[in-house]
Amino acid sequence: MANDTEVLVLGGGSTGCGIARDLAMRGLEVTLVERGNLTDGTTGRMHGLLHSGGRYAVSDQASATECIEENEILRDIAGHCVELTGGLFVQRPEDSDDYFREKLEGCRDCGIPARVLSGREAREVEPYLANDVKRAIEVPDGAVDPFRLCVANALDAENHGARIETHAEVVDLLRDGDDIYGVEVRHESGPGNRTHKAAGTTEEITADYVVNATGAWAGQIGAMADLEVEVRPSKGVMTIMNVRQVDTVINRCRPKGDADIIVPHETTAILGTTDEEVSDPDDYPEEGWEVDQMIDTLTELVPILEEARTIRSFWGVRPLYEPPGTGTQDPTDITRDFFLLDHADRDGVSGMSSIVGGKFTTYRAMAEEISDHVCEKLGVRASCATADEPLPGSERIETLEAGMDDFGLRSPVARRSKQRLGSRASEVLDTDEANPVVCQCEGVTRAEVCDAIDQSGSDLNAVRIRTRASMGNCQGGFCCQNMANELHPAYDEETVRAALDELYQERWKGERHALWGEQLSQAMLNYALHATTMNRDRDPANEDEGDGLEYDNFDGGRPTAETRADGGARLRGETGGEDSSRGRGDR
Amino acid sequence: MSDAERPTDDHVPGAKDDEFEPIQVFPEAEEMDLRPGADNCYKCSTCDTNCPVAAVDDEFPGPKFQGPEQWRLKRQDDHDIDDSVMKCSNCMRCDSACPSEVPLSQMHNTARAEYVEENMSKLSREYWRNRMLANYRRLAPLAATFPRTANFVTGLSITKWLGEKVMGITSEREFPEFATETFREWWTKRGGAQVESDEKRIAYFHGCYANYNTPEVAKALVRVYEHFGYEVMVPEQSCSGTPMFANGMLDDARRAAETNVEELAAALEDGADIIASCSSCSMSIRQEYPELFDFEHTEDVAANTWDAVEYLRVHEDLEGELEGTSLDGQSFAYHAPCHSRNQGLDGQTIDVLSAIDGIDAHDVGDSCSGISGTYGWKAENYETSMKIGEEMFEHMEDAPAETGLTECPTCSMQMGHGTGYEITHTLEVLEAALLGTELGTAGSGTGDGDADAVDGGRREAK
Repeated sequence: MANDTEVLVLGGGSTGCGIARDLAMRGLEVTLVERGNLTDGTTGRMHGLLHSGGRYAVSDQASATECIEENEILRDIAGHCVELTGGLFVQRPEDSDDYFREKLEGCRDCGIPARVLSGREAREVEPYLANDVKRAIEVPDGAVDPFRLCVANALDAENHGARIETHAEVVDLLRDGDDIYGVEVRHESGPGNRTHKAAGTTEEITADYVVNATGAWAGQIGAMADLEVEVRPSKGVMTIMNVRQVDTVINRCRPKGDADIIVPHETTAILGTTDEEVSDPDDYPEEGWEVDQMIDTLTELVPILEEARTIRSFWGVRPLYEPPGTGTQDPTDITRDFFLLDHADRDGVSGMSSIVGGKFTTYRAMAEEISDHVCEKLGVRASCATADEPLPGSERIETLEAGMDDFGLRSPVARRSKQRLGSRASEVLDTDEANPVVCQCEGVTRAEVCDAIDQSGSDLNAVRIRTRASMGNCQGGFCCQNMANELHPAYDEETVRAALDELYQERWKGERHALWGEQLSQAMLNYALHATTMNRDRDPANEDEGDGLEYDNFDGGRPTAETRADGGARLRGETGGEDSSRGRGDR
Repeated sequence: MSDAERPTDDHVPGAKDDEFEPIQVFPEAEEMDLRPGADNCYKCSTCDTNCPVAAVDDEFPGPKFQGPEQWRLKRQDDHDIDDSVMKCSNCMRCDSACPSEVPLSQMHNTARAEYVEENMSKLSREYWRNRMLANYRRLAPLAATFPRTANFVTGLSITKWLGEKVMGITSEREFPEFATETFREWWTKRGGAQVESDEKRIAYFHGCYANYNTPEVAKALVRVYEHFGYEVMVPEQSCSGTPMFANGMLDDARRAAETNVEELAAALEDGADIIASCSSCSMSIRQEYPELFDFEHTEDVAANTWDAVEYLRVHEDLEGELEGTSLDGQSFAYHAPCHSRNQGLDGQTIDVLSAIDGIDAHDVGDSCSGISGTYGWKAENYETSMKIGEEMFEHMEDAPAETGLTECPTCSMQMGHGTGYEITHTLEVLEAALLGTELGTAGSGTGDGDADAVDGGRREAK
């Protein structure tokens, strides 16, 4: 019996999407399944650093070399996802001179262009650096939008015939003896066309070969077929600042430690991070002190962070792995290199490989190596083209940036929209329809929102990661409902409401870790607006039928004057304290 | 040998970069970066609802976009500010409307300057028209030398026609008349201060308009302050910068401000406080200087600058002195300028004048007059300006008074233009009450006696 697909990729993060694109471009038939949205796992929870390799230049030079190579490739193939910010490794007076020298030497050994700046020169690049910083090493770090990059990979895979199935959780690996031949997935219930199958149903998908690219969840997938994958998930916290205090990646130049990086990301700056091993990648504590401590430490580098507004915090889980028996205690010492575990060699079970470890910047190289492995297994001769073919949105990026067309938008809105859409800008923004700004914080127009809805259906979180709508300082307070409005009339009221609730909940999830100062004011205003204009503090329309409002609990309404027999006026509805209090008490 | 083996001393960058000398392309980059100011905005839109331009012009996106949103979307090397910033009239009402201390007008001023610097053609008519309006003070001395000729020429319909066609200055308005004797000429002729005091000394910042166009206001200030025993100093001074900020001519404003700060700081050194009779001049020195410039003593000068009436209320018993004075049968329709409002002075004129017997002063409400300095002089803004002023005109006409009263020269032009009323300045009223002089109406200034022009202007605005 022929299988449903040649290759089945598990996991819709950067690795999975990268593999799907690579194999699809080589002409293989590919299906990718993802438990939630694309990027929902670790990819969507990274700090957005496009490594120059500088961070690993002392501890892990193999990774560092690979980083600088991939960094240069991504600038070419994913121009609309990366920003060439440059980066600094900043030394404070108390930081070691020896380490500074090692870092510089390491960079140069690995082919990472590095230049030393004096403290004064560093502050000319970044005026908000602390006055007493000693000096800095300038490296070609950059910023990358993991959402856009991952979505572009998936989109290109689809363009090459792949099936990308989100909200489809793997519930079982199909194993016949010593051969894995597919998976069973459960299609999630949820709004709109984001499932190809009815919600709640399960589907068996058979494949010639299965690639387990689920990162921190690889152990759980392996366990479904009694395979042991010794992934060691490690959590890290990241905090998003409301504005970019810096336009350059700022790293602390010291051996290792928490809270040592600030990455300018789109309109924001992301502070990172910590490194602590957890047992379950889906269930670990998110604690306020982690955020406080990180802000305190980074304030040593950029003092205005102390008073600056944070808009949310989030935690991500690294898919760290080390071969059995290495026994590293501290997760920061575990290598960032990736491992391809062929279960045929390792466990005597054919039909599946797992990929663990690795890092975002080198996703493409990992995907290439794994795709080579898959092709070898399947006896396919085809070579990789992902390093040369630009991603959708990044074709002819130079000519686009020179283009003057603002599509009738105000210039900062046009600028940010064109940056997000890359070479797709005119296709999306050149519209005869009215094109108001839907998300004011991020400058996202209706045309861009509608384009995302065309791609991803009624899932507003999928719209969010494609457009950045609702990712600004009001965290969706002013725009979630307007985004939901664009789903109508294509989707019915129930679907639209569910999508709105889901997006708003997701926004709240991160915002609740930033409830002080201005963001607390913001949350209060959001609450008041949603409560008083949309009844969202207790929406009667969301009440289950028959179990909803008890209208008898209300009094007779606004009192109106009526003539009494004795000629005096009496207010109707004014039944006296005794009556009304009994009325309330009885029911 | 690897570069890494070379010394990495503080001022010795890697060998191949030996020639590296940092050049600061934008020396103000640090102070111009107002992105952190966007942290204060929680998007409540109160600024938008208080913006008089947004209220009548649907094309204007309002202060929330102009300020925190545009700044937040900006990156260090972005310089293409949206052109809508030129529609902001710089009334600065958004500053006082904001419940969260977003530095809105600072953001607008800085963005406007950047727009003019980076995006506006230095050869365009708009640029030169704005430059001329902003630098009215540069032309004024010439006109003041031949005031009668200047008034004759500017009053000619051919001049106005040319002004509109060539420069884009509205022909609907009458150019302000130049005084036959400037305040400074009068001051010199008079022999300067007539009261000397070591304890009570002020440095008068008269600004351009009171010098060239309404010297009666400046003279009133001198007489009122001398009445209270103050020694008045009149230091050298340049334009306050208000029209330059509003036109994005920040370099011109910087030059003017540098002179002013230097001269006024010297006056502080001599024991004087700084007093202004124009509400936009005091606003500029108090708020815009420290927000936009960092010359030595800027903060000092800002902290010791006062509105003329405010200072007397704080340092003298002004109301007490006015008890028992009277100006019979005088009724005024009073408009508080936005820039007074922003200094928290909107209630003071009515309060002070109520101490004078026989005076009936009516506050015509908190709307903006709409002219906002040079804004309403531009042909493309004239209609918007008159629409904004509509509420004030109506309230003036409803008030039982036939004379207008305000402290801002251009509000005064707009009040006269929209209603045909004579307009006076609060200091002139105080002078008349305290010194028994006849009440003048130098503040009307527009020469608008022509009822047809007035009606014509208003009809179009409707």
